[in-house]
Amino acid sequence: MVDPLGAGLIAIAAGIAVGLTAIGAGMGEQAIGSAAIGVMAEDEGFFGRGLVMTVIPESIVIFGLVVALILLFVTLPRL
Amino acid sequence: MFKPQEMSKVIIAGTKDCMKAAIDVLYAHDVVHITEFSEESEDFKIGTPYPEATKLSEQAISLRSIANYLNIKGKEDVSTKYTVDSLKTTFNEKIERLNFEVSKVTQKISELDSQIKDFTDKTKQLDPIKSFDIPLEMYRGYESIAVFVGLIKGQLSIDNITTDYYLESAPYSRGNAIALFVPKPFETEVFTALQEQNFTAITIPEIDGVPKDLKSEFDVKVSGLESERETIRADLKKLQQEYIDYILAIDEYLFIETQKAEAPLKFATTKNTFIVEGWIPAKRLEQVQGDIDDTTNGQCVLGVDKSETVAVEKVPIALENPIPTKPYEVFIKAFSLPKFNEIDPTTFMFLWYPFFFGLMLGDVGYGITVVAISAIVRWKIKSRGLRALAGVGIYAGVLSAVFGVIYNEFFGVELFGERGLLTFLYTFPTIPRFDNVANLLIVTIILGIIQLSLGFGLGFRNEYAQHGLKHAVYTKLSWLLILYGGVIVIVLVLPQLTKGAGIHLSGGLVGGLVLAVIGVILLFLGEGGIAIAELPSILSNVLSYTRLVSIGVSSAGIALAVNKLSDALFISKGGFFIIFGALLLIVGHAINTALGIIDSGLQSLRLHYVEFFTKFYRGGGMKYKPFGYERKYTEEK
Repeated sequence: MVDPLGAGLIAIAAGIAVGLTAIGAGMGEQAIGSAAIGVMAEDEGFFGRGLVMTVIPESIVIFGLVVALILLFVTLPRL
Repeated sequence: MFKPQEMSKVIIAGTKDCMKAAIDVLYAHDVVHITEFSEESEDFKIGTPYPEATKLSEQAISLRSIANYLNIKGKEDVSTKYTVDSLKTTFNEKIERLNFEVSKVTQKISELDSQIKDFTDKTKQLDPIKSFDIPLEMYRGYESIAVFVGLIKGQLSIDNITTDYYLESAPYSRGNAIALFVPKPFETEVFTALQEQNFTAITIPEIDGVPKDLKSEFDVKVSGLESERETIRADLKKLQQEYIDYILAIDEYLFIETQKAEAPLKFATTKNTFIVEGWIPAKRLEQVQGDIDDTTNGQCVLGVDKSETVAVEKVPIALENPIPTKPYEVFIKAFSLPKFNEIDPTTFMFLWYPFFFGLMLGDVGYGITVVAISAIVRWKIKSRGLRALAGVGIYAGVLSAVFGVIYNEFFGVELFGERGLLTFLYTFPTIPRFDNVANLLIVTIILGIIQLSLGFGLGFRNEYAQHGLKHAVYTKLSWLLILYGGVIVIVLVLPQLTKGAGIHLSGGLVGGLVLAVIGVILLFLGEGGIAIAELPSILSNVLSYTRLVSIGVSSAGIALAVNKLSDALFISKGGFFIIFGALLLIVGHAINTALGIIDSGLQSLRLHYVEFFTKFYRGGGMKYKPFGYERKYTEEK
């Protein structure tokens, strides 16, 4: 029998893991994104490189997502 | 396949009287990448363009303006090709005639335009007073009467000033249009009253007649003029259809001739001779060499320059890959071209990219959608970049469908098995993503370790080729040792730590530690203390590959949510609600497909650019731009 309080706490933890990392990634991407747009205004050939640079901080959310997935799909079923 | 095309450095030299012939041969072959001569000295000067260059570019400008009037963009497909010889003798005269004919028509059109504008302007001016039955000539020419025509905000009352007036008023826009006639002595007083109502005067056109009649008269005239303009525009269209082949051909001819005439600007010349430096793909060398010799009777020669070592950045790069892997060159070009002694990673991207993409998207339905979209783009769109991306999309979509079968997903619904859509098909062991997150995470980490090892291996090869064995061991083998040592340590230590047990020192653990320490020492010897700060990056590099699962699971999660929502909210209620349910399904899955393509595409690309390439690839090669042009509308003989 799953302890409802424990399960709830795990779900909240998963939410925090994704939510906070998303805010962090957003803050990182904001600066890179505006710089990338600035470069593109000068030379449209930078579109590809700009796009890739912009998604680099996305790693942070991915790590948050991995933590959330482990919590939900590995830790939770063992409870 | 793994290397750019081999280039030979060549020098073409000869007397000036055969320069023109040499330019023609080089241009026709379209293979020699000319290195522009820029350092003038006392002996060598930059060549001067042929005198016809100015004339040719002037002609090109006037032709472009004709093309602009005829709405010819310069990329159209046409059926007829013109020979250069037929153009050479006629183009001068033809451009003049075309100019004459086109300007005749365009002049007529602009005359009509201005007439139409004149009438529509007058109609607009008359619009507020169109309901007044006062002929326009009665608004002017009084000595003892003041006339106010214009717009006011509210209702006008001047009875307290005088009762001796004539007023026409009609609602207009958000206020009223008025025509007020008062005796001159009251003019100032009435004007003040009008200003309180925000009076704005209207100019009455200097023509005679009742506004209503004038308006219908003008309307008839305008529609007459407009239909006349349409007929003339049709003439222009006819001119366009008649001359489009010819204009495109002349434009191409002029462009090519201008380039040839300006070619000496890239050459080094003395009083009587010229020298060109450049690069040519090795396999085309003999052919061009022979051709130049034949055409100029040996007065001009093309020789291979083996004398000096050249900086690697100065060798132009042309990628050379088998047709199936060609679309992936677009990613290499977007990053940076390889230098000539570097490995061209196109083939590796061909192998890894769709695999990663499929691993992330992993859904039969989405895979088929991606293939369909890519096929349509490849079939319908001409842009080279988009076509290449669509080529990548086809591979990626197929792999997504393959992984969809493994994950047993079809638009988020199970495909095989007891609860699946295709229960009648045989069942085989599938790996549903939601039940195997932990295992898949481990699989992706292993995939990451494999790709990083490949990266370091290729890096070892590149360093070995460029700087020798010692450097390769210090900078690449060291990282491999750290990677594998670290993996052994973590694999042995982590289970014990999570169980809360103490660390048990085993032979394997010691071996792993030793490997890692040797790696760190080698790295320190090769790159100095600063490299130690880089050590944690290897861990984040490996963990970065877990995105292959997490993005896939999120995308599958969205698909599942769309299905559940549409079922719970609409479809289960039956009847009329099924339509809404279907709409939600279509919109939801369309959005998820778009997200899936963008996210899987970008993240797979990122794993290559950031994690994989940084281990071996620097790039910085110069693009190979052969002197010549691929003729589309003209032919030489």
